[in-house]
Amino acid sequence: MSTASEPAAAGHAATEPSAAPQAGAVKLTMILSGAVFALMMVFGLIMRAAQGQWIELDPALFYQILTAHGAGMVGTAALSGAAILWYFSGRHVVLTAGIYWAFLGLFLLGVVLILGAIFVGGYGGAWTFLFPLPALSGGAWEAGAAAAFMLGYVSIGVGFLLYYLELGRQIHARYGSLARALGWNLILGREDKNPPPPTIVAAAAVTIFNSIGIILGAAVLVASLVHLLVPGFEVDALLAKNLIYFFGHVFINASIYMAVTAVYEILPEYTGRPWKSNRLFAIAWNAVLIFVMAVYWHHLLQDVVMPPWMLVVGQLVSYFSGIPLIAVTAFSTFLYVRGSKMTWDLASSLLVLSVAGWSVGSIPASIDGMISVNKVMHNTMWVPGHFHTYLLLGEVAMAFGFMAWLVRGKTISQMGGLDRAAFATYLAGAAGFVTVFLFSGAASIPRRWAVHYEEWLTHDRIGTLFSVLVVLGTLIFVLRFVARLGRSEG
Amino acid sequence: MQPVVLLISLILMAALTAAFWLAARASRGEAPGPKANSKRTGLIWAMTIAGVIISVGSLRQWPHALASTGDALEVHVSGGQWWWDIDTTEIPAGTPVNFNVTTEDVTHGMGIYDSGLTLLTQVQAIPGYTTKLTYTFTEPGTYQVLCMEFCGVAHHDMVNEFEVVAAEE
Ligand SMILES: [Cu+2]
Repeated sequence: MSTASEPAAAGHAATEPSAAPQAGAVKLTMILSGAVFALMMVFGLIMRAAQGQWIELDPALFYQILTAHGAGMVGTAALSGAAILWYFSGRHVVLTAGIYWAFLGLFLLGVVLILGAIFVGGYGGAWTFLFPLPALSGGAWEAGAAAAFMLGYVSIGVGFLLYYLELGRQIHARYGSLARALGWNLILGREDKNPPPPTIVAAAAVTIFNSIGIILGAAVLVASLVHLLVPGFEVDALLAKNLIYFFGHVFINASIYMAVTAVYEILPEYTGRPWKSNRLFAIAWNAVLIFVMAVYWHHLLQDVVMPPWMLVVGQLVSYFSGIPLIAVTAFSTFLYVRGSKMTWDLASSLLVLSVAGWSVGSIPASIDGMISVNKVMHNTMWVPGHFHTYLLLGEVAMAFGFMAWLVRGKTISQMGGLDRAAFATYLAGAAGFVTVFLFSGAASIPRRWAVHYEEWLTHDRIGTLFSVLVVLGTLIFVLRFVARLGRSEG
Repeated sequence: MQPVVLLISLILMAALTAAFWLAARASRGEAPGPKANSKRTGLIWAMTIAGVIISVGSLRQWPHALASTGDALEVHVSGGQWWWDIDTTEIPAGTPVNFNVTTEDVTHGMGIYDSGLTLLTQVQAIPGYTTKLTYTFTEPGTYQVLCMEFCGVAHHDMVNEFEVVAAEE
């Protein structure tokens, strides 16, 4: 057990990043994540251009690209978040390298299966594999393609379960129990000489809720696979939908909750103020642990056969989840940043931006979580509008900020011209891109339509232009990372 | 409703963005004073109280409430890959309509659009279930049903229409 880090439970300026365990594996993961993010953004750009009728795309191919974009982005958000959490958890607990490599290997195997299913097998049933669509393609793909897609998910899910098993095991070994790691001593006002640092509180919470999410996801995947192979094996479509959205909601949110540890660990290096666990922080994370699992019903607000109380809970939790995010995470960021005399380089700018994007994106999300609003916004462009806000300007900004920090060099200096240009391009592109989606949602444009009406083309074309900026900014971030990594390793 | 939702969202989003912008600019200014944590407590209370008011206000009348069958016109809509079948092609304005929605294959979403392509209301069509939705049309005209839940390669072609006619006196 690393006792060296014990006295520094709150501030870790002493830990040299190069000494971080498995830094090489994490850097490799970030190269892969950056490359896949860029490729998936190009897929997004292609879809927007096709909707705007600037390019011609066969609808079958459009929906394959849609499927790849969804699965690829969710998977890569989770992969980059997992790499960040592993990296910073390694400052507090000892983690086994072999488990990380197994996780990465299973992830890549899953990627191969998913890409093969889509671009060889023609699977285009969206990343949500909503039962029974994978089995009823109307001739667009065979059962084998759908099975390969779902087996890809199973492979990634097994890798994540290994990852959380190791993380949970080592947290348990170091802190005695997950309850203590969740900060229950802080909440209950009991003395704790070695309270869990923010990263460990986050790691403990994510380990619990994402393991539950993945296990329920595995259950519906297996049921869907059996349904594909055994005619007559039926699954209740509403139950399957509940399981899928529980898994999907928890999994994508877990990616942000893992990546935010980059903010907890890196920002203090700039502000000189350690991000500390205290009672409020622990209460917020324990609330998140419950909220993230109880809120998924807001995906089913128009499934009117659901028990009404579940829909009410979906609406209430959509709103009240905003309190830990805005009053705790965002508000703490304000306090740490104000008067800190911090240097604004690419890493610190992206990390502060990521908290802003995440918080700002929660606003249109909670508004859409109201049943009455959802009646006219559900499955319109409003939905990609809000989730692109907290992913593109949230999770992805966290990942890019972490990458910029990994290669920041020995001294922190202000942003150079290229960094400024890349940051401004990315921010302007992403902000414009998501704002167009919100306007499109308010204009009732349905999401996931390959072919758009004339009335909608202006939206699509403006969105396409903004997405070009996002791709450009991303390419600079990723190429800069790879170039600097080569220089520092060489 | 949509323009109001958009406006409120954009105002709140702009306000929170401004708060981040000001905090970032204040990095060169004064450190937060001792009152910072009581401000946070105030924010938590304000968000909680606003949440209770919004929740009660928006749920007191159940948004999925149905018109009683005696007063309403019953219309059956069934969906499949990739068509909508509507058993009534002329619907009178001013009368509550209960839509009974089913699907023959996968999950679809029945979204009702007016002639200006504004989404008026929607409900999911779930295999094995009948979902119900009440709507009262005020304006005569041609209305469209668009599929709101991704259902495969011709999802965007899953469109049908019906007429709303002026009520006979
Ligand atoms: Cu459909």
